[in-house]
Amino acid sequence: MPVYTQVNEKVLHVTLAGEEVFARKGSMVATKGDVLFARSFLGGGGVQQLAMRAVTNEGIQLMSARGHGEVWYGHRGLHVSVVPLRGERLCVEADNVLAFDARLRAGTSFLGSQGLRGLASGVAAGQGLFTSTFEGHGEVALLSDGDAIGLEVTSSRPVSVDPQAYLGHKGNLDSTIVTDVNWKTLLGQTSGESYQLRFTGQGTVYIQASER
Amino acid sequence: MTTFRLTNDRLLEVSLQGEKVMALAGAMVAYDGSVRFEKSMTGGEGLLGALKRRVTNEGMALMVASGTGTVWFANQARELTILPLRGEKLFVESRSLLAFDPSLRTDSVFTGLRGAASGHGLFTTTVEGTGNVAVMSFGHLLEFEVGPGQPLFVDPDAFVGHRGSLAQEFVFDVNWKTMVGQSSGESYQLKFTGTGVVYVQPSERK
Amino acid sequence: MRLSFQSLPDDDNLGRFAYSIRVDGEMFIRKGKMIAYFGSMKFEAVGSSLVDILFKEAMNAPMHVNDFVVVQGQGKLVLGDNGLDIAAYNLEDATFTLKAEHVLGFQRTLRCQESTLPGYLTLIGSGRLLASSNGPVVFVEPPCRVDEEAVVGWADLPSPSYRYDYQYVQGALAAVGAAAGITRSGEEKQLDFYGNGTVLVQSSEDALGRPGRLASIVAQLTGLHASELQQLSREVSGRMAGRS
Repeated sequence: MPVYTQVNEKVLHVTLAGEEVFARKGSMVATKGDVLFARSFLGGGGVQQLAMRAVTNEGIQLMSARGHGEVWYGHRGLHVSVVPLRGERLCVEADNVLAFDARLRAGTSFLGSQGLRGLASGVAAGQGLFTSTFEGHGEVALLSDGDAIGLEVTSSRPVSVDPQAYLGHKGNLDSTIVTDVNWKTLLGQTSGESYQLRFTGQGTVYIQASER
Repeated sequence: MTTFRLTNDRLLEVSLQGEKVMALAGAMVAYDGSVRFEKSMTGGEGLLGALKRRVTNEGMALMVASGTGTVWFANQARELTILPLRGEKLFVESRSLLAFDPSLRTDSVFTGLRGAASGHGLFTTTVEGTGNVAVMSFGHLLEFEVGPGQPLFVDPDAFVGHRGSLAQEFVFDVNWKTMVGQSSGESYQLKFTGTGVVYVQPSERK
Repeated sequence: MRLSFQSLPDDDNLGRFAYSIRVDGEMFIRKGKMIAYFGSMKFEAVGSSLVDILFKEAMNAPMHVNDFVVVQGQGKLVLGDNGLDIAAYNLEDATFTLKAEHVLGFQRTLRCQESTLPGYLTLIGSGRLLASSNGPVVFVEPPCRVDEEAVVGWADLPSPSYRYDYQYVQGALAAVGAAAGITRSGEEKQLDFYGNGTVLVQSSEDALGRPGRLASIVAQLTGLHASELQQLSREVSGRMAGRS
């Protein structure tokens, strides 16, 4: 299985022994050994095809790396974090996905016309229809502006998050969009911030230290 | 006094038990509990300050958060530093202010003739009293100690703030023009003399 | 940590993003990267006559000469580069090539020349060099292939060549069409390194872009004939129209 190691806060290292890793297009920083890169197509079938569709449908192009060797990944100095999944389901905004592989079942979750962040911020631009979901046992590497922080949510402790800072969430969580009248008047014209995402249940919400 | 804590280098965590916190509007990234956010017309400096701010462009849109719970603040993934004040006065560029204790008095003061070429305000913000201030910088904030006979020269774009009894001068150096980097039109340095601390970010990004 | 004139290190990092140097004599630094200093210092453009005589040996890169100044005097100088990581390299009889905008400063014992790869500087000899990177530098041993956006530089290696990933190019051509050209994503075209040395790699350049690349293109225009310039102008207009 591919081994994910964080070299530093901005670079991920993956060792391949014949497997295939999917990553955000343009994020390969360096490579050694016998690794072939290919644009990923919707052809084929099975898990990989699902994975492709999950992410490409959201407007993020993927490339696959397959072979024997090493690949370093990074993207414009954004922070990298590796989220381990032990049977849970991770929902994540597609443009925050750096890398994953076939150990996880990738899918999509319909959350309105723009994904959770898009829906909440009311952006009209045609970005995508789904938010990516990953399920199973394995790792997903995420990109964030500043470190990714996991906030624990418990039944007695719901958390509200600024949609621009939201990266994703895992566990058994329900999300609602909260419109705060106060908040609207506070920020005036900036529509994006007049909503918050409210998470209830049991799980982790990931945020970044920025409102991109 | 409101409790400030850094979750990490770029995220500020403020616990409220009925207290308030003043922050840059829009810098809330998450909260739990029961917290209310409202627009703040003044930074606590009164009507005169508000008027001055409107004129000087040194103003920042502030909000006040109150209630019971935890609020996380961040902005542009910039590095954060908590500066506790115990009765002193801190001079700080308003672009670097993220959050502060509402018991602190803020004002804007005239700092001289800079900005004519740079587009900087002619004013800078002062924060005075007892309580925490969270400042932002591109890269970790550096604290320089200035003593008698040891003036410090600072690039205006890297300047964040200062405290203590310091005099600030503008040094127009012909040679300095050769130092002009990137898009900035600066042709001066800031010179600090006296005794105190100068805060500088390791970046010429404003 | 409070930094005073006395406590500032003579030659060391102040955390990841700043570097302190004791100036006692002269050295080259990149314009605009001085963030603060104690003491008495002068910053002079390399164009001024006295400096020219002193440093013509060390600075042999006319296309980049305006990006550097010579610091003279005594004191402690602190450099920063937009919050990028800064590292110091002690070169001993070395050949070190770096992306021009990542060269923050160097001692005059080193000789600075333009690399044959546009936008890169080669430092030759022995001395201290300061360089910045987007995140800490990752050292990779050749043979390896590196995305150009992610290259900081390389030491003691021959200049790299471009390598196209045939499968990728084929796919890209089929998908996008030859007319639109190959979209630049980094995967289809990489710098290919061979030899016994080290490649310095970072996360790709951030949104601030690369001023050095444009400067090096502009500097090359001087060699063009009028008809070639007209052709270039048409090419640029065509690109601009296509983009809008």
